[in-house]
Formats: sequence, structure tokens, C-alpha cells
Amino acid sequence: MAKGAKIALAGEGGQGVQSVAMIITEAAYEDGREALYIPNFGVEQRGGVSVAYVQISDEPIGSPKFKTADIVVALSDRAVRRTQKYVGEKTVFVYDADIDGVEDDLPKNAAKVLGIPAIRVAKDELHPRVFNIIIMGAVIGATGVVNLEKAKEAIEKKLGYKFEKDPKLRDLNYTAIERGIELVKEKL
Amino acid sequence: MAGKPIEGEKRAFMTGNEVVAWAAVAADVDIMYGYPITPQNEIMHYWTRMAPKYGREFLQTEDEISAGFTTIGGVLAGRRSFTATAGPGNTLMQEAMSMAEMMRIPIVQVVTQRGGPSTATVIYSQQEVTMTCFGGNGEGARIVYSTSTHQELFDYTIKAFNIAWKYRFPTFVLGDGYQSKMRESLTIYDPESRGIKMVPTEPYMGNEGLPGTDRDPHHLRNTYNTEDELYGVVTDIMKNWEKVAPEVAEYQEYDVEGADVLIVAHGVVTRAVQGALKQLKEEGKNVGHFRPITLRPIAEDQLRKRAEKAKVVLVVESSYGQLKKLITDAIYGLSTPIKTFLKPGEGITAEEVVEEVNKLL
Repeated sequence: MAKGAKIALAGEGGQGVQSVAMIITEAAYEDGREALYIPNFGVEQRGGVSVAYVQISDEPIGSPKFKTADIVVALSDRAVRRTQKYVGEKTVFVYDADIDGVEDDLPKNAAKVLGIPAIRVAKDELHPRVFNIIIMGAVIGATGVVNLEKAKEAIEKKLGYKFEKDPKLRDLNYTAIERGIELVKEKL
Repeated sequence: MAGKPIEGEKRAFMTGNEVVAWAAVAADVDIMYGYPITPQNEIMHYWTRMAPKYGREFLQTEDEISAGFTTIGGVLAGRRSFTATAGPGNTLMQEAMSMAEMMRIPIVQVVTQRGGPSTATVIYSQQEVTMTCFGGNGEGARIVYSTSTHQELFDYTIKAFNIAWKYRFPTFVLGDGYQSKMRESLTIYDPESRGIKMVPTEPYMGNEGLPGTDRDPHHLRNTYNTEDELYGVVTDIMKNWEKVAPEVAEYQEYDVEGADVLIVAHGVVTRAVQGALKQLKEEGKNVGHFRPITLRPIAEDQLRKRAEKAKVVLVVESSYGQLKKLITDAIYGLSTPIKTFLKPGEGITAEEVVEEVNKLL
């Protein structure tokens, strides 16, 4: 399991990368670790690529931004292009396998490039609404910075009020996070 | 009315804007005056959510010129008051800040620096250093704390109110867009639980007793008729300023003993430098870091002492030489060369600092 991680999550506005970042860092904080999350909050908030920078560590965290990520998750064609600059030779690059026309834009210098069918799994197996939770699973599956239990607790904290009204949502979200972990582990 | 906002101490994981609002509530602030601008908006949002529970108030004004002056009004009425702004809002507030300087009004302003001149970006920079330290039509008799972590944002927001009311100089907490929006952990606390007593506030007007007989008069004046009159007042302010400056100046040093390269950085950038230092030490490099916490006044003597012994001073900042100006001024006359790594409006990483230092060694 990784000691710490620098994670860049990028997607189109509305794909939920910022909520994923928030839940992961909350989980890490609740687990007694140092965590720092900063959103990219330019005009992208109103449409465009949204990037979340997350760092989790056992030591106090330095600058909020970083040059090279341990893991980059890109969820759209623009996000794939935009996040190239955070990729280095130790980076695991995760992208959605169903994004069209990015074959030539995938990083050549990454340690690993993993295409996972998160959008398809969300749509066909679960529900489009839990797409971001599948992604959260993929992130923790690839980094091991948060364990499944803490991740579930953080989801409960964030969405518990919705689960009260509809307990089926809890199962759906928990399945989504487990599926996310599986998807990335199959490829690793 | 509800009890204390924070009992004892509490760990928290929150954004910098939330931290400022919590600190102000914990510091027993009576009222915030404000006008929305990114990235400080949530200071107002959190304040308006929390303040009513503890009998505190909020006034949204029609713009930042007004927010600055109403904050002065609040202080004159004896209320612990503050405002927060950024970028072009900071520009507009300078008129009120100049007045506060001239009249020795203990106003507190939190600045969350954004990038560029005019509207520019809403994100991040360290480009409001010059304006926050010297942006008025005066000599810059103001105290400016530059914070680097959420913990400091909390600590120095509380401290700003005490320092302002103790010394009666306008006092600023200079954060930035990253600090506003990022989430990290810190300990929030009731100041009293740590033995911090809030300096009591008192009205400038309408006090009991006969002025000049029962008490000192408050001579509230901002307009002077003659050169000599103004000369007298400003000389007096600056004499007082110079006297308190060494008491107020704060700084931190890391591995400065015997350092060949002395890196100077402030605010969030100091975190990158501290990270770089760790790596450079492992490589056996003689590198130290001087971090001014107060940018105005700057800890001049201490900085000179370190800069004098270094082979080179490297100023690292997310602006185009605004910190460098302060440093050049502070160490004027020394022969140590000053090099720079300047990234206006962009964050700086530890890796970049390592690279820059290695170019010098």
C-alpha cells in the first residue's frame, strides 16, 4: 500500500471529480492522516475541464499544487489532454476506456496507462449517478491511500441524508465503490 | 444566546475561508462588513451562517469602498470589526485603509490574493503584496501578516484583532486563493483556553467624561490645513511606527546556520521552499530559508544578519518581484547578490525550487 499519494482528478464539469476529491480527503482526514484538497476553480466551474488536486500523506503537506502526480484520472477527451503535464515516469494514468479519439493523446511517459470502462459500468450495471463513486473506487484501488471501510464511512457522512430516504442508494454506492476498485485492480 | 463558538480545542478539516470565519467568531468579533468577491466570498457566507447564533452582525455594503469605510465606522463605535476582500476589491478599499492609517484606526482586513491587475483571474497569486503593504496615499503604517497554513490563518486572524487594537495600526491578514479554497486539517480553539485575552475595544466617540479633563481627547481628524500641521502628525505616526516595528515583526528560519543559498519566500510559497529544503539537505546542499511572517514591518535586522553571510539570496514568489522589492530595501548596502524565481499568478512546487537552487550551486 502506498504511503502517500498525489492525485490529479480531471473531468468535465458535472462529472463529480470535486465531490470525489472531497470524499477521499475527508476519509483520509478521518483516518488520522494529513490530507489536502484544492479545486481548480477558474471559469471551468461554469463548463469545461474541472481539476481536483489531492494529496494524502503521513507528514504535513507542502505546496497545494504539485508537478507530477502519482495517479492521474482523466474522464473526458479534454481532460486527457489537459492532464498530460502532471504525468511522469512513475505516474499511473487512468482514463475512461470509452472516450473516443484520444488514442494519440495518451501519455507515452507514464508508468502505466489504464483504460477502465467506468462510464459504461455506471450506465449498464449500476446507475449513471454513481459514476463518480466508481471513479473514487478506482482512485483508492490504484493508490491504497484510504481503505474501503473509511471510504464507505466518508460516503455515509456525505450522502447519509439521502440514504435515510432511500436505503437502496447506500447499496448502490457501496457496490459502485467496490466495482471501481475491481476495475482498476484487473488492469494493474 | 448560544455559548462559546468553540469549547477548548477541536480538530477540523475545512477550507481557509471557513477557517477565517471561525477565527473571527472565536475572537469575539462583533461585526463584519463586506462585499462579495472571489475567492473570499465564503468568509462572508460562513460568517453570516455562524454569527447570528452568537449575537454577531453582518452588513453587506454596496461596494468595497463602502465596506472599508463602514468597517472604520464600526471601529469608531468601539466594535471589533473586520472586512475581507481580494483583487480589485482590495484596490477599492485602499482609500479607507489610508484613512485608517492616518487616524490610527484598528481596522482588520483579510485579503485573499487573486491573480493579476484589474479583474484578471479569480484564482491565486502573491500579487497583492505591494498594495496591501503600501497601497494607500501614505507611508504604509500598517501591519501585514502573510499566512502559509490553515493553522496560521486561524492563529493570525485572532492575533490581528489584538495587534490592531493594541497598537492602533490597520492590520491585515494576507492569504491567497489557494488558502481560501483548499481543505486541510487544523486545530481550532477558544482563544481563552490558550491564555489569549482579547484586547478590549472602546469607542472613539461619545466616551464618558470631559475630554482633556477626565480623559485624553480623541482628536478625530483626517484633513489638515497646513503643511506643517500634516508634517507634525505624519512624523508622529511614523516615529511611533518605527518604535513598535521590531516588537511586531515576525519571521521563521530553517537551516540558516552556514547556508550558502538563503531562500526568501512568504505565504503559501514557504511550504514549497520547506519541502525543497528537505530534499536539498539530503543531497548535502547548504541551503537555508528565511520566511518573513510580517511583510510590513519586515524583520530587517534578522534578515540582514542571515543575508550577509550567504553567498546568494534567492527570492521565490508568485508575483513579479513584489517580495523582492521588500527584501532589496531591507538588505540595502549588502554585497550579497539577489537572484529570483518569479511566477506571477502561478503556484510554486518544491521540485521547482530544488531546480532553481541547483542552478545556483
